[in-house]
Amino acid sequence: MKNAFGYWFLAAALAALPLALNAQQRKVVPAPTSPVTGNAAKGKALYYSYGCYACHGYSGETGARPFVGTWGHLSTEQTFITFLRGRVNVAPVVPSASMPNFSAAVLPEARAKDLYAYIRTFKSSAPGAKDPTLSAIVDAAKQEKN
Amino acid sequence: MAKSKNSFGRRGFLKNAAGAAAGAAAIVTGAPQAKGQTQATPARSGAPGAAPGPTEAQLFREAGNIQPPVEVRKITRPGSDLMIQAVKELGVEFAAANPGSSFEGIQESVINYGDPPNVMPEWITALHEESAVTMAHGYAKAEGKPMLAVLHGTIGIQHAAMSIYQAYYDKVPVLMFAGNDVDFIPAHTAHDMAGMVRSYTKWDAEPKTVDEALVAIQRAYNEAITPPMGPTLVVLSSEIQKENSPNVRIPAYQPPKFPTIDTTTARDLAKSLLAAENPRIAVGRLRTPEGVKRAVELAELVGASTSTAATQGPMSFPQRHPLCGPGADTKYDYTLGLETPGAQVSITGPQLAAVARVRDTTNIDFGGILKPSEFGRRGPVEKSAMPIEADAEASLPLLIEEAKRQLTPEQKARIQARSAKHAQANHDAHVAALEQAVERAKAGWNASPISTARIYAELWPLIMHEDWCFASPSGFSGGHNAQLWEHNKPYSYLGGQGAGGMGYGAPAVMGAGLAAKARKRIVINIQTDGDMNYAPGVLWTAVHHKLPVLSVMHNNRAWHQEYMFIQYMAGVRGRGPERAIIGNTLRDPFIDYAKMAAGYGMAGEGPISDPTKLEAALRRGMESVKRGEPYMIDVITQPR
Repeated sequence: MKNAFGYWFLAAALAALPLALNAQQRKVVPAPTSPVTGNAAKGKALYYSYGCYACHGYSGETGARPFVGTWGHLSTEQTFITFLRGRVNVAPVVPSASMPNFSAAVLPEARAKDLYAYIRTFKSSAPGAKDPTLSAIVDAAKQEKN
Repeated sequence: MAKSKNSFGRRGFLKNAAGAAAGAAAIVTGAPQAKGQTQATPARSGAPGAAPGPTEAQLFREAGNIQPPVEVRKITRPGSDLMIQAVKELGVEFAAANPGSSFEGIQESVINYGDPPNVMPEWITALHEESAVTMAHGYAKAEGKPMLAVLHGTIGIQHAAMSIYQAYYDKVPVLMFAGNDVDFIPAHTAHDMAGMVRSYTKWDAEPKTVDEALVAIQRAYNEAITPPMGPTLVVLSSEIQKENSPNVRIPAYQPPKFPTIDTTTARDLAKSLLAAENPRIAVGRLRTPEGVKRAVELAELVGASTSTAATQGPMSFPQRHPLCGPGADTKYDYTLGLETPGAQVSITGPQLAAVARVRDTTNIDFGGILKPSEFGRRGPVEKSAMPIEADAEASLPLLIEEAKRQLTPEQKARIQARSAKHAQANHDAHVAALEQAVERAKAGWNASPISTARIYAELWPLIMHEDWCFASPSGFSGGHNAQLWEHNKPYSYLGGQGAGGMGYGAPAVMGAGLAAKARKRIVINIQTDGDMNYAPGVLWTAVHHKLPVLSVMHNNRAWHQEYMFIQYMAGVRGRGPERAIIGNTLRDPFIDYAKMAAGYGMAGEGPISDPTKLEAALRRGMESVKRGEPYMIDVITQPR
C-alpha cells in the first residue's frame, strides 16, 4: 500500500474529473477535417501497444481524457505531434497520470501520423436524445415531489 | 501474559487429571510419590539391553484397577458465555472470524450458548482475518455501530493488520477480540498481543479475569463508538474464556458520554440560525442514522438550505431532501458546519491525530506526512471562523431544543416561505445537474467494452424504487453514482477505503450485506478487478450466509492508475510506454470472474462486453438478489 493516501487522493481527483467537467456543460467540438496522411490500421496497433486507451478509452470516448467531442491538440497532424513532443520531461515527485512525453526516438514522426490517423477514425457512439434508459432517469427525477 | 490464579484451562485440566490418576496409584500401592514421578516413565535397568521393569502405574493398570479420571470440575458457566452475553446486550449482531484454536471458547459460546442456542451475534465464517475485520468495517459504515471480528492470536492479528489500519483511518467503529492461547503454539502468542497494532487501534486491553474481561468488552465498545471512532481490541486468553464463572455478573452497561456543546453555545447558535435571512447548514459525516434524522430536523426547523456529503460516504444529509442543494439564494449570511467546515461555525468531533499521538507507540508517525487536519478524507479543509470541538450528532438535540424554544411565530412563517422557495430551486438544480450528467453518460454508450457510466445508468432504474446500499468505493469506476443516483438514506453510499488500501471493497460490501440481510435491503457492488483479487474468498461467505449482494465487475483487466503512472514515468525518461503493461495488467490469462464466482458457489454470468446485453443481465442479477442469493456479473469495461 505504497503512499496510500497520495494514491487515493490522486485516484479520487481523477475520478472527480469527469464530475468537475460535468459541472459546466462541455461544448461538443466537431471532429477535425484536416488532412490525414498516416495509416490508420498501423495506428490502431500503436494505440494498443502504447497503451493510449488507458486514459482515452478503447474508442476515444471515455476515461480521463476522451477525444471524441473535445479533440484537444488534435486539430491537425502537426498540432498533435507538437503536443506529443512538448510534454514535460522531468518526473514530479508525486506520481502523475498526465499525458506522457513522446520524443522522436520513442515515437517517430511516421508512427505519430499513423496514430493520429487511427484516432481520427473515432466516432461518437452516443445514443439519440431519447434513449429510453437515460430519458427514464431524467423523467423520474422531474416527477419527484418536493 | 499472566495467568489467572484460578485458571482452569484445557492444559490445566489434563495436567490435573494426570496428577490425580498418578496420585490414586500412589495411594493404592502405598508407594511414596516422589517429586517428578508423576509421569509413567519406565525405570531403567542397570544391565545394558535388559528390558525395563514396569512402573507402578503400569502394574496398577495391568491389574485392572485403573479408574476413569475423576471429573474434578464441571464447567457450568464458562467465561466466554458471559463475554458473549455482554456482546449480545450491546446489540452486536454478528461476529466474523476465520477459525482459530485460541478462541475456541468464544466460538463455542457463540454457536451453542443459551437454550435455544444463541443466534445473536451470528457467527460469520470469513476466509481471511482481513476479510473479517473489513466486513465489520463495511457493516459499521452501513449501520453506524460495530459488529465483532474475532482474531486468532498473533497470526490472526497480523493478517488483519491492514484492515485495522484502514478502519482506523476511516474512523469506523469495529470491535475486535483476539484469542491468546499461551501454552499451545508459541508462535501464535505474545506477551503484548495488541502491541502489534496498537499504533492504529483506538483502544485495547488484555484482561486477566472474567470480571475484567466483561468490563473491557463494554469499554471497548464505548471507545469504538465515541468520536473519533475507531477499531478497538480486547485480547482474551483461552483460560478466561473457559474458566467456570458461576458467580460472575455482567456489569450494568453505561453508555458513553459524547462531547457536546454547552447550553450557552446552543443558545447562541440557535439564535444565529433563526436570525439569519438565508442560513445554511453544511453536513459532513455524522455517526449514526439518528444523527442524520436530527440534522434533517434542524434544517427543517430553521429553513436552512443544506449541503451534503452523501455522495462521498455514509451518514450525511439526504441528497434529495427538498432543502438539500444550493437553495433559492446562494448568498448565505450564516453557515453552520456539522462535522464539516462552516463559514461561521463548525461543530466537529475530536481529530484522529489526538488519538494517533498517544497510540503511535512505534513512532512511525502514521499519516504524519499527510496531516489529517489538512488532508482528511474530505480533502483540503476550509477554516471555520469558530471551530467547536464537540460531537455534532450529540450536540444536535440541544441545538434543536434551543431553536424550538426561541422560534417565534413570525420566524416560523418566514421559514416556511423560504423553505418552499428552496425546495423548488433545489428540485430544478437537481434536474438540471442530472440532465448534464445524463449527457455525459452518453459518451461511449454503445462502445464495447462497456463504459462505466453505462453500468451506473443501467443500474439506476432497476434500484431506484428499492431499499439499496451502494457499498463499494466508486472512485475507480468513475463515481457516476454521485450525479446519476440519489443518495437519500444514511447508508446509500458507503464511500472509500479509508486509508486508500486496495482489498477493502469486496469484504466491506459483504459487511454491508450482513446489515442488509435482516433489513430486506439490497447491496450493490461495482467491483474493481484489482480489489477483487485480494480476498475473493468473501464470495463464498456471501453465498454461505445468503447475502443480498449484486456484484458487477468493473473488469478493465489492469491496474490503470499505476499503468498511467508508469507510462508517464517512461515518457519523461525518454524510454516510451510500450512496456508499461509489465506488472500493471491482468492479462495472459484474463481472469473469468463468473467462473471464479461459480467456484465459490455463486450464481452469475459473463464476461459481457456487448453493451446491449448489460441491462438484461442486471435484471437477472436483481431478481437473484431479491431472492436473497448473491449474483456476479462479469462486465468487461472501458478502463475508466
